[in-house]
Amino acid sequence: MINYKGVSIVRKKVTILENINLSLNAGDFAYLTGNVGSGKSSLLKTIYAEIPVETGTAKVAGYSLNDIERNEIPYLRRKLGIIFQDYRLLNDRNIYDNLKFVLEAAEISDRKEIRNRISEVISKVNLEGRENKMPYELSGGEQQRAGIARAIVNNPQIILADEPTGNLDPDSYYSIMEILVKLAKAGTCVLIATHNQELIEKYPGINYHIENKTLRLI
Amino acid sequence: MSNTTWRVRSAYFTSVVSITLVLLMIGITSLLIINAHKLSDYAKSNIGFTVFLKENVRPIEIDRLEKTLSIAKYSKSAKFVSKEEASSKLINELGEDFIELMGYNPLPNSIEILLKPEYTQEDSINSIRREILKNKSVDEFFYQKSLVLAINENVKKLSLIGIIFTILFLFISVALINNTVRLSIFSKRFLIQTAQLVGASDKFIRKPFVIKSIISGILSASFASLAVTGIVLILKSDFKNIITVEGIWQIVSITFIFGITITGISGSRAVSQFLKTDSDKLQLEE
Repeated sequence: MINYKGVSIVRKKVTILENINLSLNAGDFAYLTGNVGSGKSSLLKTIYAEIPVETGTAKVAGYSLNDIERNEIPYLRRKLGIIFQDYRLLNDRNIYDNLKFVLEAAEISDRKEIRNRISEVISKVNLEGRENKMPYELSGGEQQRAGIARAIVNNPQIILADEPTGNLDPDSYYSIMEILVKLAKAGTCVLIATHNQELIEKYPGINYHIENKTLRLI
Repeated sequence: MSNTTWRVRSAYFTSVVSITLVLLMIGITSLLIINAHKLSDYAKSNIGFTVFLKENVRPIEIDRLEKTLSIAKYSKSAKFVSKEEASSKLINELGEDFIELMGYNPLPNSIEILLKPEYTQEDSINSIRREILKNKSVDEFFYQKSLVLAINENVKKLSLIGIIFTILFLFISVALINNTVRLSIFSKRFLIQTAQLVGASDKFIRKPFVIKSIISGILSASFASLAVTGIVLILKSDFKNIITVEGIWQIVSITFIFGITITGISGSRAVSQFLKTDSDKLQLEE
């Protein structure tokens, strides 16, 4: 699913990560840990092709990130589900339309299929009855669950979560983590960037740690 | 209606009002351009010449010459002025009976011709003059050279000023509409970025923005057209020969074409720019 060999990440002539190797398969539940500013988000950004990979070889969901064309990036991203710390829901439309947008963007136009998929993910993240609410009408935990619903509505092969519990209280983030664990058990590759040690102890998984610009498996 | 929805609608309304005002400026400029030739024709409408006839010309010949001149391609009107009419007009102007003083009427019979606007240039008048002087009945050809020169010179100057202002207005209009559209899309830059991250193609993201921009162009063009039509209806009775309702469809078409094209292109360009902007830079632009 994700295969990095000897990859270095350079931003504005500053080396962020050097010669990293990362390998994750379907059903893997993995963490990316490290201090704030260590490069976790930058590594995730390379996976969804927001930052280019210039050295080493990187493959994600069958796409080579070394020579991916700009017009291929949306197709790569449709195989990924991205969850952000600040949710990044589309604030000008309700939760149902947020999910519908993802499916329409992925060129799914069958109304029945759209309705079925949305109601399926809404129930997976326990947001039944909240579909018609605008994002700002929901609590932080609910918004993040809507963010997860959006990430999984298109049946992605990989879920990338950048500090998904960073803005939430413990009760909310336990419910988020349980959803993510279930998704991994169902065969999705889940990679969570976090610096929350408690999470790692409570929900164990593969742990990649960033320190001194290098990535190592703990 | 929630506060956010109200704010979004009010921002859209503000951008429509801004675009309407710019399109109104375009509409008024078009109105002036379309009617400019009428203004110049109006200024030239008094340009003409007088043909003085020889003493012994018979009435039938005068009549024939008057007819020939009135149907000539350059002629707007031709009017015979007998020596008696000319003298009574001159007596009225001078306030003194010069015939009594002189003992005879020195004024000849004449034909006054008003020219069509396209024949009011000096070289056209000179060639008409050469042609007319060939006629045996004609004694003299007279026109006010300085008046012709002054009118033509002023029309030329005004046309040049008109062209400069039109280009300037066009430039200002494109810049203002472009900025208004860009600003309304700028406020949605994070939405554009999120859409990119969930796998939407550039075309899919661009489409609703371009449609919304074009709709605001159509709305603005409709309001601007209504305003220009109102202005024409108010002014047409005071400027009968200069402003007419005939050109109104041209003005409305120009306003719509301009409004739709500029908003569409600006919308598309603004979205493309944000699509290519790095997410870190997007934050900095806040």
